[in-house]
Amino acid sequence: MSGLARHLGVCAAILLMASPHAQAQTRAETLRQVTGNTVNTLDPNLPGSTREAFGMSMNVYDRLVSFERKPNGKGFIFDFDHLRPELAKSYEISPDGLTITFKLRPDATWHDGTPVTADDIKWSLDRVVSAKSLGPPQMQTGSLTSSSQFTIIDPMTVQVKLDKPDRLALPNLATVYAIMVNSKVARAHATDDDPWALQWLKDHEAGSGAYTVENFKPGENTILRRSETWKGSKDGSLPFFKRVIQQTVPEAATRANLLAKGDADISIDLQSSDVLEIEKAGKLKVISTPQFNAFTMVAFNTKVKPFDNLKVRQAITAALPYEDMFKAAIFGRGAKLFGADWTTSPPTGLFPQPMPAHTDLVAAKQLLTEAGFPDGFDTSFTYSVSSAQINDPVAALIKESLGKIGVRVDVQKVPDAQFGTLITEKKLAMFTDTAISWMASTDYFFRNFFTGNQRWNYASWNNQELVDTAQAARFEPDPVKYEVLAKKLITITAAEAPEAFLWQPSQDAVVLPTIEGYTYWFHRQVDYRDMSRK
Amino acid sequence: MTKSAAVLRLAGRRLAASLPALLGVVVFTFVLMRVLPGDPAVFFASGPSAGQKEIEDIRHQMGLDRSIPVQLAFYLRDIGTGSLGHSMTTGQPVLKDLEERLPASLELTFAALVLALGLAIPMGVLAALNPGSTTDHAVRFLCTLGVCVPTFVSGLLLIYVFYYLAGIAPDPTGRIDIFASQPPSHTGFLVIDSLIAGDFDAARSAASQLVLPAVTMALFVLAPLARMTRASMLAVLGSDFIRTARAMGLSRGRIVFVYALRNAALPVLTIAGIVFSTMLGANVLVEKVFSWPGVAAYALDALLATDYAPVQGFVLLMAVIFVFVNLLVDVLYGLADPRVNAA
Repeated sequence: MSGLARHLGVCAAILLMASPHAQAQTRAETLRQVTGNTVNTLDPNLPGSTREAFGMSMNVYDRLVSFERKPNGKGFIFDFDHLRPELAKSYEISPDGLTITFKLRPDATWHDGTPVTADDIKWSLDRVVSAKSLGPPQMQTGSLTSSSQFTIIDPMTVQVKLDKPDRLALPNLATVYAIMVNSKVARAHATDDDPWALQWLKDHEAGSGAYTVENFKPGENTILRRSETWKGSKDGSLPFFKRVIQQTVPEAATRANLLAKGDADISIDLQSSDVLEIEKAGKLKVISTPQFNAFTMVAFNTKVKPFDNLKVRQAITAALPYEDMFKAAIFGRGAKLFGADWTTSPPTGLFPQPMPAHTDLVAAKQLLTEAGFPDGFDTSFTYSVSSAQINDPVAALIKESLGKIGVRVDVQKVPDAQFGTLITEKKLAMFTDTAISWMASTDYFFRNFFTGNQRWNYASWNNQELVDTAQAARFEPDPVKYEVLAKKLITITAAEAPEAFLWQPSQDAVVLPTIEGYTYWFHRQVDYRDMSRK
Repeated sequence: MTKSAAVLRLAGRRLAASLPALLGVVVFTFVLMRVLPGDPAVFFASGPSAGQKEIEDIRHQMGLDRSIPVQLAFYLRDIGTGSLGHSMTTGQPVLKDLEERLPASLELTFAALVLALGLAIPMGVLAALNPGSTTDHAVRFLCTLGVCVPTFVSGLLLIYVFYYLAGIAPDPTGRIDIFASQPPSHTGFLVIDSLIAGDFDAARSAASQLVLPAVTMALFVLAPLARMTRASMLAVLGSDFIRTARAMGLSRGRIVFVYALRNAALPVLTIAGIVFSTMLGANVLVEKVFSWPGVAAYALDALLATDYAPVQGFVLLMAVIFVFVNLLVDVLYGLADPRVNAA
């Protein structure tokens, strides 16, 4: 009997030794994020990529450079003004601002163990400006348009040439799309129809980032495993978490339950009502960051009557019940973009910033009369179904407030796909949406959201002075002169009132109390590389 | 002619007869998707930097720059070659998505149906044996409750009680504990696959994940099954041959279970078939609440994103399943009642 017992004991010991090997990570070394959405492609350049796919790619792929981050409240925010080398060892910008030279890390390797070469970097840069994907239109905002701009100087050096000293060239190389790809692997899977291996890289990764993809099931989960050879961090250290699970849990209440039970570690898309409860209960950490690269607004279609009339736009801007909406729609969780007290010129050139709009029904009525609408008019106010939780109260308050000055509002709630189509085709009179920009740069905001004939020029606004100023600002290297131009852009917009600015909603990240290091990134997703467990 | 040959002939004829209906379903869904408002190209090009050119590119990639009849012709040709197109939402071929997700839906629906039948038939029989009694009223109350409470309410309630408060249920996310390793796929049914792999932990995990969603679904379909059993049993118990059986002095158990129940089974079978098909496609709320990676949730997500191919593929799949379930019900009919000819 004792022999058998000893035998069993040995077996148990072997099992005990074997099990940590089979399951190399403990629960503590695994981060579990629950989200309502899903990663639908591993290559963020693919049209139709979800925001989660953008965020995932930050963890799997390195870029040449990365934004720094700075402490903010209980967490961190990304620092648009400071960049650091990531896959590059160092970079140098020539005095005239026309040449950026990247030195590569001699010790950097791809996930398959082969070294990172200048060939790979050149191929990856060519890919992001050439492939039929989301990359080229973004890169073009930083004057990166053609593969002829990228040259290999020596096996460890790549140079980027610019026509003009574009202030957004380098930041663009830190954005989601500018992934550095193992070109030998990718080229092996390229075809004549698909020279940049877009199809293959959709389901496979060939990067050098902090994590490799262990399991990729769109609609269910994506599981990452730490790459032990990663060199891209600021101080050369590896991320804390050895394994990361991003799981799709469609029901927001279930996500909140999972966090409350401690079974999930982080969620950034809980319902505001749940977040309020969680904050009150005080058992979980809520990191609330106003999305400073976003703005929520009411847009007026300046191409159609009566919103082609400046006085009408000013009247509506003065009639919106800002404070009430701020409280009812987002429970005051965010930064206000109204109620500033400057009149001619803003205090800084930063955008978005609070605009000098106040609720003043008397002035609104007066403006409306001057515009030739003493009895008001009929119009519509549209928003998307997915934003209904926020915009149902907004619509009700706007309808009530505008009713007081005689403007009769027909509230329309439409499915998201239809909403996007209506905006693109410029068929809406007045609507609300939230605009987000990866580049927290004033001229970029104005060029994207207030010029041109595309979806993002919500107000279909065409103001030559603004267009010229924005273009001048883009290529202005002197920060003092840039500030002057930026202020001018804001002043013109405040005077012309193409849109009424409401607020920057907060992003609420709910994490277990032991989880540290959450950063609000420009892509508004979780960067797992920054995070750790106490 | 032997019985099995007759069954085969029936199956062949029925399948052939269903082809025009399937074609109709395909064309109808195809056209319906395209007259719905919303431009998928605009929706999928809604990245922060997408302009008109990107929209055009996506339209071309999705084949939407051609006329609808041409698109339909291409689609039919694709179906003929075994392709259902690509999903923009998941980035995968629709056929692969459905292949992966159908077993999840089937596993859940089977479990729910077995559970529901296991409860509903005894309840219906008990109610029919004592019409107007307290038992009858209790059954009626339970059924009404099951139908009245929407599945997402009962689902969330079950999660709250058994997961959040009591802590006995596993976390209600998906088919197996996310930290456990998945068994190699043979049947697609995780419980069975785990048992094949000899991984009893995984089997237990998969089975325990199944309990709450299956109960939620079973509660909802309890009513039609129990009510139909009751009504059908009442009719049969009042018929001549039962009276004869009683007069002949047969035992009560033999009368109820052998003679009455077998004859009362026909309408219940029909209902069970319909309930099964409906559950499979329409239990999107249960799938959403329990993060169950099934076909219904997949189709709904696609529909909201105006992603045509998955919706069309899903409807076609449901139509095919409906045809097969009806066929199966008809074959079972013959087994339950030999008088019903396979013809």
